[in-house]
Amino acid sequence: MQASWETLLDGVKKGNERSLARIITLVENRENGWKDAMKRLYPLGGKAKIIGVTGSPGAGKSTLTNSIARELVSRGRTVGIIAVDPSSPFSGGALLGDRLRMRDAVNLPEIFIRSMATRGALGGLCQGARDVSRILDAFGKDVILIETVGVGQDEVEVVKTADLVMVVCVPGQGDGIQALKAGIMEIADLYVVNKADREGAHEVAADIGGMLDIASEGSGPRPPILKTSAINYQGVRELVDVLVHGFDAGKNRADWRALRIKEEILSLMESEILHYLQDKWDRTGDLDKAIHQILKQQTDPYSAADSLLPLMREAFGIKETT
Amino acid sequence: MNNKKIRVLIAKPGLDGHERGARIIAYGLRDAGFEVIYTGLRQSPEQIVSAALQEDVDVIGLSILSGAHLSLTQKVVDQLKSKKAEDILLIVGGVIPEQDVASLKEMGVAGVFTAGSAVSQVAGFISESVAC
Amino acid sequence: MKDDQNKCDCREKREQIAREEKSWRENLVNKRVSRYNLEKSPTCFYTPNAIKDFDFLEKVGFPGQYPFTAGNAPFDFAKANEKLAAQANYRPDWGGSRGVGKYGGFGAAADYRDYLKRMHSMGRFGGPNMAFDLVTQCGYDSDSPMAEGEVGRVGVAVDSFRDFCVIYEPYTGDLEIDKVPSNFTINAPCAIIIAMYAELARSRGVDPAALRGTPQNDILKEFIARGTYIYPAGPSLRLFRDTLQFMRKHMPLLNVNSIGGYHIREAGATRTQDLAFSLANAAAYIQEGIKAGLDPNDFLTKFTFNAFGGSMEIYKEIAFHRASRRMYARMLKEDFGVTNPKAMTIRQPITAHIGCSSTTLQRTLNNWPRAVVGGVAAGMTGSLPGVFPPWDEPLGLGHSQEAVQMQLDATRILMHETGLTDVCDPWAGSYFMESLTDELEAEALAEMDKIRGMGGAVAAIESGYMPKAVAKSAYEKQKRIESQEDLVVGVNCYTSDLELEVTINREVEATYDPALMATCEERQKASLRELKRTRDGRTAASLLSSLRTHAKDENRNLMPDICDCVKNDCTLQEICDALREVFGEAQPVKL
Repeated sequence: MQASWETLLDGVKKGNERSLARIITLVENRENGWKDAMKRLYPLGGKAKIIGVTGSPGAGKSTLTNSIARELVSRGRTVGIIAVDPSSPFSGGALLGDRLRMRDAVNLPEIFIRSMATRGALGGLCQGARDVSRILDAFGKDVILIETVGVGQDEVEVVKTADLVMVVCVPGQGDGIQALKAGIMEIADLYVVNKADREGAHEVAADIGGMLDIASEGSGPRPPILKTSAINYQGVRELVDVLVHGFDAGKNRADWRALRIKEEILSLMESEILHYLQDKWDRTGDLDKAIHQILKQQTDPYSAADSLLPLMREAFGIKETT
Repeated sequence: MNNKKIRVLIAKPGLDGHERGARIIAYGLRDAGFEVIYTGLRQSPEQIVSAALQEDVDVIGLSILSGAHLSLTQKVVDQLKSKKAEDILLIVGGVIPEQDVASLKEMGVAGVFTAGSAVSQVAGFISESVAC
Repeated sequence: MKDDQNKCDCREKREQIAREEKSWRENLVNKRVSRYNLEKSPTCFYTPNAIKDFDFLEKVGFPGQYPFTAGNAPFDFAKANEKLAAQANYRPDWGGSRGVGKYGGFGAAADYRDYLKRMHSMGRFGGPNMAFDLVTQCGYDSDSPMAEGEVGRVGVAVDSFRDFCVIYEPYTGDLEIDKVPSNFTINAPCAIIIAMYAELARSRGVDPAALRGTPQNDILKEFIARGTYIYPAGPSLRLFRDTLQFMRKHMPLLNVNSIGGYHIREAGATRTQDLAFSLANAAAYIQEGIKAGLDPNDFLTKFTFNAFGGSMEIYKEIAFHRASRRMYARMLKEDFGVTNPKAMTIRQPITAHIGCSSTTLQRTLNNWPRAVVGGVAAGMTGSLPGVFPPWDEPLGLGHSQEAVQMQLDATRILMHETGLTDVCDPWAGSYFMESLTDELEAEALAEMDKIRGMGGAVAAIESGYMPKAVAKSAYEKQKRIESQEDLVVGVNCYTSDLELEVTINREVEATYDPALMATCEERQKASLRELKRTRDGRTAASLLSSLRTHAKDENRNLMPDICDCVKNDCTLQEICDALREVFGEAQPVKL
């Protein structure tokens, strides 16, 4: 295993796509040694700009991502795309279909596309997407686009890992805009009204503008609202201008970065702790015991969690603080 | 804390637009717990293999109903060879006359699934063939 | 007074039947159900109470009259001449009567021309019934990288007007193009093929107004099934409108389109989806024609349907055709104000059938009895009792002469030996069939309402609703087969070693020369090079440029531009590319 990590890391440094793809898989699968690999990859990156693309289903995010990537390549940049789709909660499988909307991106050697399932794993998708974008960064991609469906909390968290967050809307989806209010408004740096050749595009843009004005209570700068028709590349050049400009401003402030690093460390810790405890309790049977008692209505989840706490403290050698 | 999933690419090479089989397999394999990358219609062998490499899939499934299965599959096999990716399991489904099955297997196709094949059969074949 | 008395008697009768039914259920049915340890009865029985307010004239009417439930006509040409056909040993696949010839096409334009010449020398004088290769269907030229390996494979390659003219070389004199009809199975680039047909006539001094035939021209179903689309649904419908206006003005004898649910059902749609989606597509075409200022009473007389889908469920397929005719006629009358009865029928060559997806590769010969079931359903729904498809369909090698013979003979046996088609709508008034028809109609209407709520067929395609619904239905069906909820003989039941695989001799006529197939791509490419060398390139470029400009104006009819392009040797892909630039390309549906 060790040897193969070496070979792969070497491959990534040399620009070998197969090694890149392989390493992504191994890290995503949390194969032994993944964290060491990430430690080695981390210092190689740090240069890429990460753009989160989200919006309701049917907004044309993949098509737009494709057009943005194409335009970036024409401006001499290399691009990595991470396309996220949900895993089935029943089978754990997933149907990843974003590639098929990325007509140009699949043909350009400067672009690497990776489809990712949410997998509902402990530690969350968030860290997984962060790892993959970091690997792409280390590989040397200049810009990384992370595309998700902006409906679940998971997906909102994912785009939060980006430097810039773009929210895509379309005419004729009144409800979509309503749904955006929750959570996503605070983190959006940019709004795009896609399929702007359709009736109602102007109205959607005005609706978003209105909503932003209310939210900002009329003060401070408002995130830009752009119109595109990604399917025939209209408005894409202007959008990329704004994105490129945005790289230099916005959230690249030190405090924003510090906050994100804090979140990441906590999330890594959280998943480690959960894994550790789950592993331990799986062996001792304490967790199963608690579940059984709750099912038999002998106790409740709150009491069970409380009664498991000492076990955790013991495991980590923590003294009771309260 | 291993998190491994079998990843499968389902593609339709050529211009044939009959997608029923490919879609059924895509849904079915998802429900069998695989991560399925569906690339849809009109894919060239180059595009298919390039997608398979980027997505680091364990399996490529081709669906062909236009009668061009021999030449299209050969092209995919050639691409895999030139990219040193023969380790990816290749399966083919669609309208495949019986006498062509042997030719496909000779090319290196691991499994051929024609009309009436059950998705569970395909899923079972993949699980067995891909060492976890 | 007498009426009241009748009503009273009726109600009394109904109540009596209901009482009797209840006691029958309790005493007979339920006892059996528990005796055999079942959850419910495996059979149904229908009484007059199943169709309480049945109004014959409203629901059925007479064959050939609104609402056409009982059929488009009391009998048709084939029925009127069935005895003559038998006595004359008529072979429908030969096109001997100077109707439409056998569906086909392969190779380079010259290959298909030579094939047609050979057919003529054998006395098969039918008009060209053209299958185009996938390259042409998807709007590419033979020299496109997308074309590699596909040129001339599933149909003939048409890259330019020159190719089109080559195909028609054998059609002169007695077979001049205004004397035989032509069929074109083409959708996305249909406008270009229609332009070529018109220009061919003009170049020969034939009035396009005398041309007959049918282009498929049903682009919307390509997005739901089959997949040979180019532009998004919206601009595709605009091109349909342009062809419609052009044909009504310059080629009034030509059928406008051939709408189909067949591909939709074969792609996995349920019966209800087939019916609702096909009619929703039809409604979109009609709406587009009306929006363009045309009179549906006129243009609908030139609408045709190729076929809906089929299945082995014979009762339901019969109900399907009764419901489809009634729904179409009602939709035209009530939603579009159509009054001309000739504009209200679903004009199609056959009605019910089992569909190719009902055939099985396992114990292939079993497809013969399967197809006969479809023939019976067809005979009971107002068409020739066509047995379809030939039993060796799933072998994927082309139909053998033996299978085609068996198919033809099975149809003839149903026609001449059974009396099957001597009665129009033999199911009219059946408690069961009328209620089944009502049920299917209600389901399909609900689905159509849903689509209307989304903004119509184009919106339901663009949002992915229709294609996704079909994919899901296909998957559900597959799951039912794998769980043995649906049974298919030889596939998921009766598969033990005791069963015998029955085979018979099959001879597949080598229709197309494999040597020609092998070289046609190179030859097409050579012709393209020659064309580009010898044409007036500047004119071609400027015509393409004005096509692009005019395409941006949604109200402008593009047919005159396309005709100019065609006539001046712009290639099919050049024309399509010009439009791609303006319209964009259709996006595949994410599952």
